[in-house]
Amino acid sequence: MWKYIPFAFKNTLRNKRRTLLTIASVAVSILLLAVLIAVYHAFYFREGSPQEALRLVVRNRVSLAFALPEHYEQRIRQLCGVREVGSLSWFGGVYIDSRPEHFFPRFATDPEKIFLIYPEMKISAEQLKAFQSERTSAAIGKSLAQKHNLRLGQRIVLKGDIYPTDLELTIRAIFEGTQGSSDNVLYFHRKYLQEGLPQRRQGYVGTFGILADAPESVPRIAREVDDMFRNADRQTKTDSERAFQLSFVAMLGNVKLFLLSICSAVVFTILLVSTNTMAMSVRERIKEIGVLKTLGFTTGKVLAMIIAESVIVAMIGGVVGCSLAYLVGMGLGGRVPMMSSGLLIPSVVPTISLAVAFVIGVVSSVFPAFHASHVPITDALRHVG
Amino acid sequence: MDNHTVIETIDLRKEYKRDEFHVIALQKANLLIQQSEFVALMGPSGSGKSTLLYLIAAIDRPSQGRVRVLGQDLQELSDKAIAQWRNENIGFVFQTFNLIPVLTARENVELPLLLTGLSKKQRIEHAQTALKLVGLEDRMSHYPRQLSGGQEQRVAIARAIVTDPALILADEPTGDLDAHSAHEILTILARLNKEQNKTVVMVTHDPHAARFAGKIRYLEKGELLPEGSSPPI
Repeated sequence: MWKYIPFAFKNTLRNKRRTLLTIASVAVSILLLAVLIAVYHAFYFREGSPQEALRLVVRNRVSLAFALPEHYEQRIRQLCGVREVGSLSWFGGVYIDSRPEHFFPRFATDPEKIFLIYPEMKISAEQLKAFQSERTSAAIGKSLAQKHNLRLGQRIVLKGDIYPTDLELTIRAIFEGTQGSSDNVLYFHRKYLQEGLPQRRQGYVGTFGILADAPESVPRIAREVDDMFRNADRQTKTDSERAFQLSFVAMLGNVKLFLLSICSAVVFTILLVSTNTMAMSVRERIKEIGVLKTLGFTTGKVLAMIIAESVIVAMIGGVVGCSLAYLVGMGLGGRVPMMSSGLLIPSVVPTISLAVAFVIGVVSSVFPAFHASHVPITDALRHVG
Repeated sequence: MDNHTVIETIDLRKEYKRDEFHVIALQKANLLIQQSEFVALMGPSGSGKSTLLYLIAAIDRPSQGRVRVLGQDLQELSDKAIAQWRNENIGFVFQTFNLIPVLTARENVELPLLLTGLSKKQRIEHAQTALKLVGLEDRMSHYPRQLSGGQEQRVAIARAIVTDPALILADEPTGDLDAHSAHEILTILARLNKEQNKTVVMVTHDPHAARFAGKIRYLEKGELLPEGSSPPI
């Protein structure tokens, strides 16, 4: 069978422009498909880091917009398997102006605990000490520092919007995140925020982060935290960190269905384009197919060669599309939530994408090839293409 | 049928439908061709020459009658078996050359050998030998568009003989050529007939081309005229 491949390949060069355009259209479709599969995988199948598997997030059962009393922390800490507890409150606010390029996440937190709960964020002992010891200090991620050209010792102002207070912060630490964790973020002292708030808004936090002693403890701790506050004024909803992140995706609606619909539309569209191209290509060669059969090629061999030709084109498009997907994945770093370090293209994506390209190659050519290979030789030889 | 008979047709008939018309392309065709003969089939357009040639090559199936070629009753073979039989026993030369434009002369000639068990090296050697036989050893890497009409037809002849078939069938092989190229092609066919003992059956309506053949059979209105007879002028 392999001896026919060079002939099939040469046939793809018959109309170079058409072949290149077909490869380009398959490549773009496979690129889109690969990125969508990678997004789907990142949302629903990505394995978290070992640290992520140990963390839980406690929020108000009603909504994230409602805060939790800070004294919950002491009761949570007493639960078996809880190694550390710390608070995180989304500050929001405005840095310089409200243009999107000046937006980045800002959290009020407990400076003694945040780097214990998130050990993957690397910070020097000296800078950690400086951050912890000064109430108006801030710790920022390396990406954020680079993006906004921020330096140690620099003062920045955050104008409050959710909270009715403006914050003047001094950057005392720059930490480095690892893949999968964001370092495009700013942390500052929760107590500094509390000082600027009216009495009635003090004593509350947005969420609690819990570090468990083992991944097996996570479901039990979640259950026990929620049970503990079941009859409280403000009930809790405790999830693993992964489930908490997915809850943001769920806010967008039925993302699974949305992604699958787009994937199906992409595949179907490229199938139609490829089928049309193959039909044109084969129709022009009916007479040649008659010649091949006169030379002794069977209907099956002719059929296989036309399909091989289509598969070659589709697979080249698939490889190009997958390669582009890796570049796009790297380019998406920091632009998509939960993908701060770029959209990782897992190994399953090229496998699926190339399998789809193969199927497109086969399906798009099978009908034109079947028809052409079954034209009687006498009719084929008379055919004017 | 003796051991020297290459082609024998008995009461061959071919009819087909074209839209609402029922056409009899060939009827009561009884033909006997012996080994190493060079036979020209002559007649006006629509007389059934090409139909007869296609039936001999098993490119088409007869409506009635029998075709026996090289001792093989063609009706007994399946489509797949006929394809293999044709590859091994028949060399076919078309009027319009019908070379594959994306393949070089050598690759075009190599094409029928892809169906054999030969290695790539052997295939290339066979193709080169066939091209040398038709005097195109210096045009092996040329594409059809880089060749003249006469050279293209020589490549087509090389492709027809590369599997060393016993029978060469040529359908108006000089129809698209100038007089000089036509003469070259007919000389090659005559040489293959004389020097390599190939049986050649050539369809033509050119009396000059027919003179290269040892025997001429005429067809008129789908009927093969008796041997030795020619149609009234």
